[in-house]
Amino acid sequence: MSAPFEEHELLPRPLHDERARQQFVGAFRGHLASRLMPGNYAVYRARVEPGFEREHGRKPADRHEVRAAMQREPSYQFWSAMQRRSQELMWESVIDPTERLLPELVARAKRLARRAGRTARGSLALDPGCVVPRYHTAADIHLQPGGYHTEFTDDDVAAGAVYDRALNIYSAGGTGPRNEVLGELLLNYCRERYPELQPARLLDMGCAIGNSTLPWARAYPDCEVHAIDVAAPQLRYAHARARALGVGVHFSQQNAERTSFPDGHFDVVVSHIMLHETSRSALANILRECLRLLRPGGLMLHLEIPRGRTPLEKFLYNWETWNNNETFAGYMTDADLAALAQDAGFAPDRVEFVDHVVRRSREQRLYSEEPYWKILVARR
Amino acid sequence: MSSPADPVKQPPTRPKGHRPVVFDDPAIDQLHAAYVTLATELAVAFERIDTLERLLERHAGVTREEIEGFEADGAVAESRATRRTDLAQRLLRPFREFREDQIARAEHARSAPVRAPDEP
Repeated sequence: MSAPFEEHELLPRPLHDERARQQFVGAFRGHLASRLMPGNYAVYRARVEPGFEREHGRKPADRHEVRAAMQREPSYQFWSAMQRRSQELMWESVIDPTERLLPELVARAKRLARRAGRTARGSLALDPGCVVPRYHTAADIHLQPGGYHTEFTDDDVAAGAVYDRALNIYSAGGTGPRNEVLGELLLNYCRERYPELQPARLLDMGCAIGNSTLPWARAYPDCEVHAIDVAAPQLRYAHARARALGVGVHFSQQNAERTSFPDGHFDVVVSHIMLHETSRSALANILRECLRLLRPGGLMLHLEIPRGRTPLEKFLYNWETWNNNETFAGYMTDADLAALAQDAGFAPDRVEFVDHVVRRSREQRLYSEEPYWKILVARR
Repeated sequence: MSSPADPVKQPPTRPKGHRPVVFDDPAIDQLHAAYVTLATELAVAFERIDTLERLLERHAGVTREEIEGFEADGAVAESRATRRTDLAQRLLRPFREFREDQIARAEHARSAPVRAPDEP
């Protein structure tokens, strides 16, 4: 069992059966990831690839040919149906207690936002004029009903509360007791590679509930840490959550494609698996905006989900593209982010798109036999 | 505080976007989805019963508040975790066995010598 999830003031506290439901879905997902997903590799090698070779006299050339063959494979069909259903059940299990407790959660978030004094660090600036882009509204990302952004009541925090608890279930505990694993991962990479770095101002783009932002704010206590997102319910929740956990972050509702910060304002700009939730034009805009926001010598770090090395891996990573409303992830599969950063104006010798291998437990494995991460690193 | 640009009265219960159909007959998709739910509810019921039994061990009478407030820790949490894993394994066992058989047969066929067409 991984470390227990740490409760805090903003998390809806489930009743007996609600908690049991969440825990079962988490255990079921863990079992699918550790015991069933690897079988996709085994059945591909034993049946699907040999079958394709018999028919075509060669191996599948790309992920599209793998997809056509795998979709006919009964055991892949079964795994896919289970994986999809577990994702739907995950949201259902979290939404029930959140809706039941929503008035109380909104009140708690307001109390924390109003709090004054030494513990009232950080700030929240919402912009009613902020347009939620089409890449959020066209389909609900990750199947979360209403997506990251939809509001159902005044001062709504539901989408944030749902996301916080669901992330723990999604990863079967793999995102750690405070859902901070990805923030820590990128922070550790940064500290190992740039031990001298002491940023005065840092920006986290597409922060959602700020779970990946907080490790940065803790690591650099003298740094002014900003975090932006387009989704107001996430930001309200993120601000109250950061206060409940005693960390100071300045949250504001802004699109990362074009922010209100001045030129050269930040020493570091980061994001955590955000780029693949955008669009082709938005990605180009975001990279240009990063260049504008960084001071000369400033550092850009974008953590991304790997998209696979072999046709089979590429196909499996794209399961989420077709089945979990990761609509832009398909394009990201073959995109060269280093080249895109150069197109945005970063100098060619100052950009890298690195493979970052991290030891993970079997329980945390999603689609790869050898888990790794991608990091887009660039200095202005 | 901002007000919603597109106010929604009722939270949606299903995600907006494409719903994939995995099997040739969509009814099979539905059947799979339904019994995963059934399994989830079974897990919930097991846990409820477990709670009641443990409370009954402690007291003569049981109140609703006591049930709602019950949290597993230590050995109880461990035994529940084992039970959840056990249920998931039992639920998926026919599938695992089906796949193992398929892989074994495929590997056997590949390693077996090729016979001439007129061989018995």
